[in-house]
Amino acid sequence: MMAGERNPASCYLDERTFRLCCQLFLQHSETIQDGWSWEQIKGTDEGFIKKTLLIPIKSSISHQQLGCSIQDENMAADDIQANVEDETAGVQAVCEIHAVLRYEYHVLYSCSYQIPVLYFRASTLDGRPLSLEEVWSYVHPNYRQRLQQGPWDTLTQQEHPLLGQAFFMLHPCRTEEFMKPALELAQAENKKVNYIVTWLSVVGPVVGLDVPLSYSTEVSAPD
Amino acid sequence: MIMADDKDVLRDVWFGRIPACFTLSPEETTEREAEPYYLLLPRVSYLTLVTDKVKKHFLKVMKAEDVEEMWFEYEGTPLKWHYPIGVLFDLHASNTALPWNVTVRFKNFPERDLLHCTSNSVIEAHFMSCIKEADALKHKGQVINDMQKKDHKQLWMGLQNDKFDQFWAMNRKLMEYPTEEGGFRYIPFRIYQTMSDRPFIQKLFRPVSPEGHTLTLGDLLKELFPAAVCAEDEPKRFQWPYRATVIKQQNPVHFTRRRCSQNAKGDVGTVDQCCRRHTAESDYSFRGIGECFTPDRDRETAGKTAKLTPPPGDFSADCS
Repeated sequence: MMAGERNPASCYLDERTFRLCCQLFLQHSETIQDGWSWEQIKGTDEGFIKKTLLIPIKSSISHQQLGCSIQDENMAADDIQANVEDETAGVQAVCEIHAVLRYEYHVLYSCSYQIPVLYFRASTLDGRPLSLEEVWSYVHPNYRQRLQQGPWDTLTQQEHPLLGQAFFMLHPCRTEEFMKPALELAQAENKKVNYIVTWLSVVGPVVGLDVPLSYSTEVSAPD
Repeated sequence: MIMADDKDVLRDVWFGRIPACFTLSPEETTEREAEPYYLLLPRVSYLTLVTDKVKKHFLKVMKAEDVEEMWFEYEGTPLKWHYPIGVLFDLHASNTALPWNVTVRFKNFPERDLLHCTSNSVIEAHFMSCIKEADALKHKGQVINDMQKKDHKQLWMGLQNDKFDQFWAMNRKLMEYPTEEGGFRYIPFRIYQTMSDRPFIQKLFRPVSPEGHTLTLGDLLKELFPAAVCAEDEPKRFQWPYRATVIKQQNPVHFTRRRCSQNAKGDVGTVDQCCRRHTAESDYSFRGIGECFTPDRDRETAGKTAKLTPPPGDFSADCS
């Protein structure tokens, strides 16, 4: 290939590359104890990665954010995930833990669209599944706007294609819109990215899933 | 191109009906006894789209506070409204006598297993997303994306209002393919099964082999579901607890007839009949190798092939 000539970065993913990216992703998750695991479908080489999270929900979360002027993504993600006594941006609030919710995240491969897809479901600790309205209300206000404007059509209830149960899914239609620039940038800098790391870092936080920065620096792309 | 003589087949599939009897579950609280409600269900539609009258009928005997989102079950299994009615019937009840006895529920919605369906727009969104996914496989989504919003609406309205011509005026665009490229990029299909957690098998499958041969449904099954296909001299081992449901076929006459006839062993008459069945945006059910149930009226021919079918549950009997 001559200098200056490049094949355009493909924003699509074949299944084998999906599995390889997941493997590398999981290795790092193991290192930092981030809780992801691989679920294999019996008798096949198909599978998906999954993670379960316990999220305390604070009653005063919306009041906090109204007073908060700093729109920092990492802060917001941490906020959802773990901080009980939160003193960010000079706003002090007494937080009561109203409930603990169980969120389950699955990253599957869609062979129809040739991209990964994020499925998740949430329930209370005693097993009551959350409705879409409830899930929405717990999405951080910062992300609520992004969710409404972002390059995904919507959050809908779908049947999990491998488990047959009811999950929520971020519609994959416009993955190209945010993956293409990221992949092109990496290519311009002569770097190879791990598709799953890049993709999940964008879609995950929107639904309360944090992807620590170390994934971006430590996880390599498959050969 | 869709062959002219497919039109009657398309109509047969579209107008296929399943007679059903809806009974209120004894677990529901009623002010007085409710009569069962009988309805002819369109195979190509969705339960929640066609059961407004069922709901009205049972609400007459119930108090408002005892009524939540309506759902259906068959012999204790919640019925997934987002599967076409024909698929549900073939999956759960095709071995049983008609009418199909469906139980109506208004409480204890099975949150884990069923999707909520709070309005027709939910059904529309689901239907359109299936159409889009199928087109992504066939044409990389180009045909559906080139259609206007009003065209999408017409597809949906055609289904909702049972208007064959209105529906097919739009659907034919989705069923055409550039012949120079050998047809659809991939065939959109799902093989539904009841004996596994996994609800269906869906993989990429090209209609043409690398050597340029047109592939058949038999080839697809052999590659992706070999357990269902047995050699010609072997006794048929499965009565098909698995139902092959093909969403759209490119060229039904060639695609299915040859292979079906080979495996049929004497069922050629019935097989040919069903092999001419072409799917619209609906589903096409294969029931076993050598026998097919699609539109309701095939039930009349069922008697002729029934003797070749082992009794339900006996999966080891020889069919021939």
